[in-house]
Amino acid sequence: MSLRTRKIAKERINILMKLAEEIHKTKPHLAQKYYKAAWKISLKARVPFPKKWKKRICKHCKKFLFLGFNATVRLNQNRFPHVTIKCLECGGYTRYPYKKKGSKK
Amino acid sequence: MITQKNIYYHELIGLEVEITNSTNPSLIKRKGKVIFETRNMLFISDSAKPSKEIKIPKAICCFRFKLPSEKEVEVKGDLLVGRPEKRLKCKRVRK
Repeated sequence: MSLRTRKIAKERINILMKLAEEIHKTKPHLAQKYYKAAWKISLKARVPFPKKWKKRICKHCKKFLFLGFNATVRLNQNRFPHVTIKCLECGGYTRYPYKKKGSKK
Repeated sequence: MITQKNIYYHELIGLEVEITNSTNPSLIKRKGKVIFETRNMLFISDSAKPSKEIKIPKAICCFRFKLPSEKEVEVKGDLLVGRPEKRLKCKRVRK
């Protein structure tokens, strides 16, 4: 894959995800379609999906999560400090660990 | 950045478009914003009625896109035919 194709693919993914974020309140089904189009572009161009959007996707049902609409976010301290994101579409949980301020590890 | 050269490979969703020529006379001079795209069709929200969706075949129309840099490009529709992810790679314009 040429550099030019990969550059255009990254721009297209960012355009589509920004449009999905703007449109999700009025047309949520279109927002999911934009995410799927962006995902197909990343597969075809062999470009990694941007990190800032990757955490907004449910691991189980592969839907784009909008906090307050189809996802809830909580902080949890059991076992290790982590963020728990619950997908309200499929009921699946995703956990991301974080470091507390002032912790040595 | 979408330019006049790379519009064949770039994203069309979100661009303002006007139909300049078509074999279907009812589609000529229609304006709107591109909502969605498939292999053969463009879905446009009418500028007069934003809630209305128009489905336009790509192959029979000539389009004028307004780029984010406020320039305008005229494009033949048959050069845009193809799935959005496949349009990334294929060579569209022959010198």
